[in-house]
Amino acid sequence: MSTPGTADSPASPPLFVTTRWSVVLAARDPAAPGSREALETLCQTYWYPLYAFVRSSGHTPEDAQDLTQEFFARLLAKDYLRVVTPEKGRFRTFLRMALKRFLANEWDRWRAQKRGGGRTPLAFDTNLAETRFQQERADTLPPDHLYERRWALTLLDQAMVRLEREYATRGRGAEFLALKPHLTASHGEIPYAEIATALAATEGAARVAVHRLRKRFRELFRQTIADTVATPEEADAELRYVLEVLSRG
Amino acid sequence: MRPLRCRTARRCRGICPRCAAGLLQSPPTDFSGDSARRLPPFDPPAPADLARLFPGLEILELIGKGGMGAVYKARQKQLDRWVALKILPPSIGEAPAFAERFAREAKALAKLNHPGIVTLYEFGSVGQAPDERGEVGAVPAPLYFFLMEFVDGVNLRQLLQTGRVPPREALAIVPQICDALQFAHDQGIVHRDIKPENLLLDRRGRVKVADFGLAKIIEPERGCLTRSNAHVAGANGLQADGQTPVAAGEPPALRELTDAGKVMGTPRYMSPEQAEQPGEVDHRADIYSLGVVLYEMLTGELPGKELQPPSRKVQIDVRLDEVVLRALERKPEQRYQQASGLKTDVETITAGSAKSEVRTPKSEGEARSAAVEPRHPRQLW
Repeated sequence: MSTPGTADSPASPPLFVTTRWSVVLAARDPAAPGSREALETLCQTYWYPLYAFVRSSGHTPEDAQDLTQEFFARLLAKDYLRVVTPEKGRFRTFLRMALKRFLANEWDRWRAQKRGGGRTPLAFDTNLAETRFQQERADTLPPDHLYERRWALTLLDQAMVRLEREYATRGRGAEFLALKPHLTASHGEIPYAEIATALAATEGAARVAVHRLRKRFRELFRQTIADTVATPEEADAELRYVLEVLSRG
Repeated sequence: MRPLRCRTARRCRGICPRCAAGLLQSPPTDFSGDSARRLPPFDPPAPADLARLFPGLEILELIGKGGMGAVYKARQKQLDRWVALKILPPSIGEAPAFAERFAREAKALAKLNHPGIVTLYEFGSVGQAPDERGEVGAVPAPLYFFLMEFVDGVNLRQLLQTGRVPPREALAIVPQICDALQFAHDQGIVHRDIKPENLLLDRRGRVKVADFGLAKIIEPERGCLTRSNAHVAGANGLQADGQTPVAAGEPPALRELTDAGKVMGTPRYMSPEQAEQPGEVDHRADIYSLGVVLYEMLTGELPGKELQPPSRKVQIDVRLDEVVLRALERKPEQRYQQASGLKTDVETITAGSAKSEVRTPKSEGEARSAAVEPRHPRQLW
């Protein structure tokens, strides 16, 4: 998934800042500049875990699409931000709690006036969503766990996209392709000599290149997480939690 | 392209989530520890989470992390001094009889009062390890900690990463380590985990040995270090450092702690008897480890299977060969029997060479590495 509006290139740092959840929280006023874009960007990025949650809660694909859209519409209208709750510190938990409440309370009411709104603020590919959902471990994981797993994978995906884009904008796309297969390899398994050949560089340079890639990946992953929480302390805790989820595979 | 080791089918943009989690555990600045840190960790709590457990401390930042725990820089408010707070992995308390062993050993360590040994101020256990707000199934466990002298400087590993240590510096560091070791050995305490990471150098170039006896506290009875995560070693035939092959006849891994805190040994610095007969280890194991460290300082490499004398690799006084090789004797009875013996030999070489040109097997006119200065460690930065 691409993230329109997220500028990772050094040329436009101000936009990058507005993707933070903290910005959204700070600007409860829907008219505050940057706040709406920030929320839209976040929703655009993380809609799939929510869709997966709704689907695995037992709704049909059609209903799930409508529900997810409706939920985001309300979110973007800042309805839910007006309620002060403890889990606000992390976007992930906030979304999940808000969605649960929405499904529990609003489902009946909304269903009665279904398809009356006509607003589609978010363009997400519902066919793609359903296809992906079919590939999930939906039969083995309860909705909460599915959501968490999908969230963690989305973060991973985000970080990879950013990483690739960084290398591309600096004209180092070929280097990225050569290094990428070794991103998570354990130290003793990395064939530096091969990489050196592929890059037409010395083995020493190959080592540095691999090291830099891994280091930058970690940094970007942390930044991606930081975007979804309100404070740096939250970021540490969120990182630990996400890694734990990822470790389950 | 070689096939990737991990064969999971579930990939995210070509990346296996579990492998990614392993990579992402390490802090961004870590280089050499890449593979070493990929074991299921112990995730150190954030300073803010620890603060409530240590009301007398102002906890600033995490400064180190490894299999044996995490270290934070802190300020002891009432005494207005810097301290290092080391906490052990929370699961460690689940090992039977740990608490009693901890108390007994830590008391002995607290009596080690020597300028070359990182002083232990306090130790104990507090409240409960901080949990993940209930999201991860948090088992309440006491948090074991040590409060130690804070050393403002670097460790020898960091120094080694900048390149080989010039012989004169190596020879200035070693006697200080010997003094510390001899002092501890005289008190009946063996370190068991001498390695560059545990040798700290402060801003004046003084050496302080850290983590004395910690290995014995963490690993019961035998007092030796376990092999690292068995599945890592098994999967690719290499140990945790990703370089040393697992020996065919290696003893089975000792009882492991829970998956949250696998103790990582440092096989490269371990004496043969530590790996083979852990119950027979005495102070001479430390001398072996020191030998490895000295070899690494001088040559920039670890001693390989075929032990090559250092002077064949770099230009140093050939008399140092004897010192290093004697320390690295496989049989303890053939090594230096006392750290002070090693020190004496090193100082003899140092003093002797201060006046004359050094004899080396190949003289290519590099006087820099040949000159050896007397004892005072020069300011390292």
